[in-house]
Amino acid sequence: MTLGFSPEEWRVIALSIRVALFALGIALLPALLLARWLARGHGPWRTLVSGLVLLPLVLPPVVTGYLALLAFGRQSPLGQLWHRLFGTHLSFSTSACVLAAIIVGFPLLVTGARLAFEGVDPRLETVSRSLGRGRLATLMRVTLPLSATGLASGAILFTARALGEFGATIVLAGNMPGETRQIPLAVYTLLNQPGGEPRALRLAAFSAVLSFAALLATAALSATRRRVGSSPARGVSP
Amino acid sequence: MTHFEIQLSVRRGRFQLDVQVDAKTWVLGIFGPSGSGKSTLLDALVGGLRPDSGRIALDGEVLFDRAAGRHTATHRRGLALVPQDPLLFPHLSVRGNLEYAPGARQRLRASHGAELLAVLGLEPLLERVPDQLSGGERQRVALGRAVLAGPRALLLDEPLASLDQPRARAILALLLELRSRFELPMVFVSHQPSEHLLLSETCLALDAGRLVAIGSPLETLRRVAPTRHSALDGLDNLLSLPVLEHDPTGGLTWLDLGGAPHRLAIPRCSAAPGDKLRVGVLAEDILLARERPTAISARNVLEARITTLEPIGEEILAQLRIGTAGLHVRLTPSAVRELGLEPGGPVIALIKSTACHRLPS
Repeated sequence: MTLGFSPEEWRVIALSIRVALFALGIALLPALLLARWLARGHGPWRTLVSGLVLLPLVLPPVVTGYLALLAFGRQSPLGQLWHRLFGTHLSFSTSACVLAAIIVGFPLLVTGARLAFEGVDPRLETVSRSLGRGRLATLMRVTLPLSATGLASGAILFTARALGEFGATIVLAGNMPGETRQIPLAVYTLLNQPGGEPRALRLAAFSAVLSFAALLATAALSATRRRVGSSPARGVSP
Repeated sequence: MTHFEIQLSVRRGRFQLDVQVDAKTWVLGIFGPSGSGKSTLLDALVGGLRPDSGRIALDGEVLFDRAAGRHTATHRRGLALVPQDPLLFPHLSVRGNLEYAPGARQRLRASHGAELLAVLGLEPLLERVPDQLSGGERQRVALGRAVLAGPRALLLDEPLASLDQPRARAILALLLELRSRFELPMVFVSHQPSEHLLLSETCLALDAGRLVAIGSPLETLRRVAPTRHSALDGLDNLLSLPVLEHDPTGGLTWLDLGGAPHRLAIPRCSAAPGDKLRVGVLAEDILLARERPTAISARNVLEARITTLEPIGEEILAQLRIGTAGLHVRLTPSAVRELGLEPGGPVIALIKSTACHRLPS
């Protein structure tokens, strides 16, 4: 089944999905740890850090991409460190697509996880520890199960954002067929080609279906969360 | 029995808590109005906060010592919490909650696990989820969960405060039974004097962060309660007594109060002879008389002996002994004078059978 897509368009779709999933795999653990700290930690640093994390959400993506290029470009110390470690340049590569997706989607993932963690009554964690379960065991047995649906919807939003990434990617990774050209970049490129519009429309429709499915999935998840995660009624009587 | 050595001071903004306790006891009661520092003290015990100075040791094992830089993590302290709001894990079944602590599954399978399930009446609830339980049921599960953690002591944080009167009485009866049957030391936080009189062995009173009294519950409450008018509200007598026989035509069931002739009449019920029933009698529902009255409707006319008479607030709390049972009775000073009551003296206690409330078990 090809849905009428050419092999090249399938490459674009496959690359998009690969980049999004890689980005999620890399970002998940740091995002969870950061969200955990933001949800339960104390101190003046928390406000500053939470502001920094949210910044890419309000910055124009092109600006985010430009700042990232300054930080990770060939001349930057980080870019050179990458070159020494892997022998390739980070900017204008598939890795740069992953990096752009991570930077732009990170606020969604952290915020989703933070809200999910904040929804877990901290006294449940205290009770768990008083019953002899340490911090890690408490996290695995109480905090994560009770925040699972919230974490999942954060991950879905992150993936959807990664699939739609354009601005930061075009600055940091460019628009190279087979290497950095993902669905939004391909749509943009096709629209600029004479006669490319019908193919652009097909890709755009595919993209819309993916995004809508992601929204439906988060809505379904938050419905289960209301059913399962709601704390028992604090009643007096039977 | 646990040896509690607690000396600590905690400063939080304008609130300052200073406590020094050295007590060997089964049940350490913590009494005080809200804002007096009860929960801060409990928080320091469980390890949720580090006092600014001081030391906490249980049976000689140091859990916290500021000067020596010692702080045992909460999960290694062996102090299992039973909070007011029972805080069951909502994603686990009752069984999952009971088996939550390390080693709890094995304890549940052992013989005293079955005994615990029976005492708390949890067997029929095992496969339910916390959402489907009543307040009293949830509190019973929280108790079982804490006991099955095999703790050094239970930390009971106002476990009855969110329950209505009959359910609170039933849980209190369970706590008494847990105390005697499983020999578990407890720290019992409550703002209800009557609950301390029944459960606590040693009771300390806090007021605005200061320790204002410590001793037996009666001593402590006598020193604190004169300023508190409602000190005796809801004071109950909780008894666990075996059924002797039924009197179907009289509509009564007789319970054993410690051998003939001491027996208690309650409204007729269907329990088999020999079964133990829990019965609650309010301290104000008991009348005292010097001589045995004739032609009286009260079915219980019991020969008793006064053990103590303690002024609490503007009233006097008498403790009686009938057979092997002890009863609290609320009296006015005027009644004590007129009857010439004194400790050690004999007295007749009159209790209507309908004032003996059978409690859910």
